[in-house]
Amino acid sequence: MLAEYFDPRKEFGKAVTELAKENDKIVVLSADSGKSSGFGDFMHLFPDRYYEFGIMEQGVVGVASGLATTGKIPVFCAIAPFVTSRPFEMFRNDLGYMQQNVKIVGRNSGFTYSDLGATHHSLEDFAIIRMIPGVVVLAPQDPGEIKNAVKAMIEHKGPVYMRIGNPKIPVLFEEQDFEIGKGKILQDGTDVTLISTGSTTAAALEAGKALEKQGVSVQVIGMPTVCPLDAELVINAAKKTGKIVTVEEHYMDGGLGTLVSEVCSQQYPVPVKRLGVPKVYATTGSYDELLEYYGLNAKGITKSVLDFVQKNKRSV
Amino acid sequence: MVSGEEIRKLKLTAEKCRANVIRMVKSSKHGHIGGTFSAIDILTALYFYTMKIDPQNAGMEDRDRFLLSAGHKCMAQYAVLAEKGFFDKKYLDTYGKLHSKLPGHPDMHKLPGIEANTGALGHGLSIACGMALGLRADGKKSKVYVVMGDGELPEGSNWEAVAVAANYHLDNLVVFVDNNGLQISGKTEDVMNMSPIDEHFKGFGWATKNIDGNNMEEIITALDSIPLEKGKPTAIVAHTIKAKGLSFGEGKAEFHYWSPSENEIEIADKEIQERILNIQNKE
Repeated sequence: MLAEYFDPRKEFGKAVTELAKENDKIVVLSADSGKSSGFGDFMHLFPDRYYEFGIMEQGVVGVASGLATTGKIPVFCAIAPFVTSRPFEMFRNDLGYMQQNVKIVGRNSGFTYSDLGATHHSLEDFAIIRMIPGVVVLAPQDPGEIKNAVKAMIEHKGPVYMRIGNPKIPVLFEEQDFEIGKGKILQDGTDVTLISTGSTTAAALEAGKALEKQGVSVQVIGMPTVCPLDAELVINAAKKTGKIVTVEEHYMDGGLGTLVSEVCSQQYPVPVKRLGVPKVYATTGSYDELLEYYGLNAKGITKSVLDFVQKNKRSV
Repeated sequence: MVSGEEIRKLKLTAEKCRANVIRMVKSSKHGHIGGTFSAIDILTALYFYTMKIDPQNAGMEDRDRFLLSAGHKCMAQYAVLAEKGFFDKKYLDTYGKLHSKLPGHPDMHKLPGIEANTGALGHGLSIACGMALGLRADGKKSKVYVVMGDGELPEGSNWEAVAVAANYHLDNLVVFVDNNGLQISGKTEDVMNMSPIDEHFKGFGWATKNIDGNNMEEIITALDSIPLEKGKPTAIVAHTIKAKGLSFGEGKAEFHYWSPSENEIEIADKEIQERILNIQNKE
C-alpha cells in the first residue's frame, strides 16, 4: 500500500489554528509569509490575532519578543534562512537571552527550495540556532509528528525553533504524543545505527530496509529534537551497535551529526559517519536531483552505510 | 500644569541620580558616562513624574514599560531605579564587578525594573512595538516609553520598527531620541548623517516634537502632551549635551566612555554635590 502524502506547511498551519481555538494567547506573525505557511484559515478565523508586517524578518522577531512579554505566544513562520540567519542577533538576544516564549518556524528548509538557489537554502540553521542557550530545536519527521510537535512546542515555555520542509511528505508512524528531547528507535538492528532527523527520515527508513535485505542489521533512530539531543539514546546506540551514521538535510558540519559526535566523543567513543551536504553553496536543480546529488536519498544513504560498515568491521 | 516646586524636586532628583552614577563609576573605574548623563534628565522625568510603576512590585500588570534601546546608557537607568527604590543602593557599588546585578548592559533576569536585554543597538524599538501591540490588544492603558540614542539610528532594524509603530497606529508608544550629536568616532552628523531626525519619523507617520532634553520644564511639558496626536506614535527628539553635568566632559565625544582619574572623580562628585545644595537651598 502506498503511503499517504501531506503538505508539511498545511499540516503545521492547521495544527496551530486548531490549538488557537482553545488558546487565545496564540498570535501569528507574518512577514508576507502567512498564507504560504498554512495560515489561510487562521487569518480569517482570528483576524485580531494575525499580525502582518510585510517583508521584515528582523523587526518581526523583535516584535514577537515584545508581544511575548505581555503573555502572548507568538508564532512566526517564514522561509527558513529568513527566520534564522537573517535575524540571528534578534533570535539570540530578543528571544534566547530574554528567554521569551516565541515559536519560530522555518519552512521550505534545507534545500527544499532546490532550484531557487543558496539564498533560499538553509543548511546551517541547526548549527547556528542550537548555539543559542535555552532554545529548543525541532525537526518533526512526518505529518502526524508535525501536528504533535506543534502542540508540544506551544506547551513548552520558552523559545523554540522548528524546521519543516515544503514537498509533500509520507506518513511514517502511528500518531503519538511528542516529547521534546526524545528520539525513538524506528527499526531494530545490531550492526550499525542510522540516526536521522526531519525530512531525511523517510529515506533513512527505506535505506534501513534495503540494508537488511543486503544482510546488514540496521537500527534506525528518528531524532525529531535536535536540541536538546537525546544523549541517552545515542549512547545506548553506540554501546549496542558500535558505529553510527547520521543523516540530515543540513551541512554535515554543525547539525545532528556534530551533536551526535560530541556526545559519543565525550561519553562513549565510536566511529561516527555524518551524512549531509558538504560546506558549499549547494547547487540547484529539482529537489529529487539534489537529494540524489548529495547522496541523501535512500539509495545514497544505503551506499554510504554499506561503505562505512565495511570500513569499520568490529574486531571480535 | 506642573508647579515650579515639582520641577525643582525633579531637578534635584536628576542630580541625585547623577551622584548615583558617579558611585557606580567609582566601583568599576569606567563607564559610558556621555550618554548616561545626556539621557538622565529624561529618565528622571519618566520614572519620577510620568510612569505608572511600583518599585515594590516591578512586574505589576498594569505598569508602564520603559526600554533603554541604547543599553550602554544603563547607568542612567540603574541610578534612577535605585533612587526610586527598586533595589538597595548598595548594589550600585557592584557595578562592573563579578556577577553584578548591574552589568554593563541591562539584564532583565538580574534586576527588577528592567524590561529587556538591550545593548546590541537597534533592538529596543521592535521589542517596544510588540509590547505596545500586546498591551493594546489586552485593552490595557499602559504606555511604552523608549530611549534611543541618535548614534544608533543608522541601524536598519530601527526603521522596520518605526514603520510598524506607524502602521499599527501605536499611540501608546513614546520614543525619546537622546540626540546628543556625538558618538565614538565624532559628530553623529559626520559619521552618518541621519538628520532631520524628526522629519524621518514624521515621514513614516509619527507625531514629533523637538525639545531641550536637559531642560526639565521642556521634558515635562512634552510628557504632558502625549500622545501628541491620537492614533500616532510619538517621537520626541531631545536635543541634549553629551556628558551633561560633567563640566570637563560636556559636549566631548571622548567622554562616550570614561575611565576617570581620581582627580576627575573628585571634581565630578564635588560639582554634583554643589548643584544638589544649590537646588536644596531654593526650597
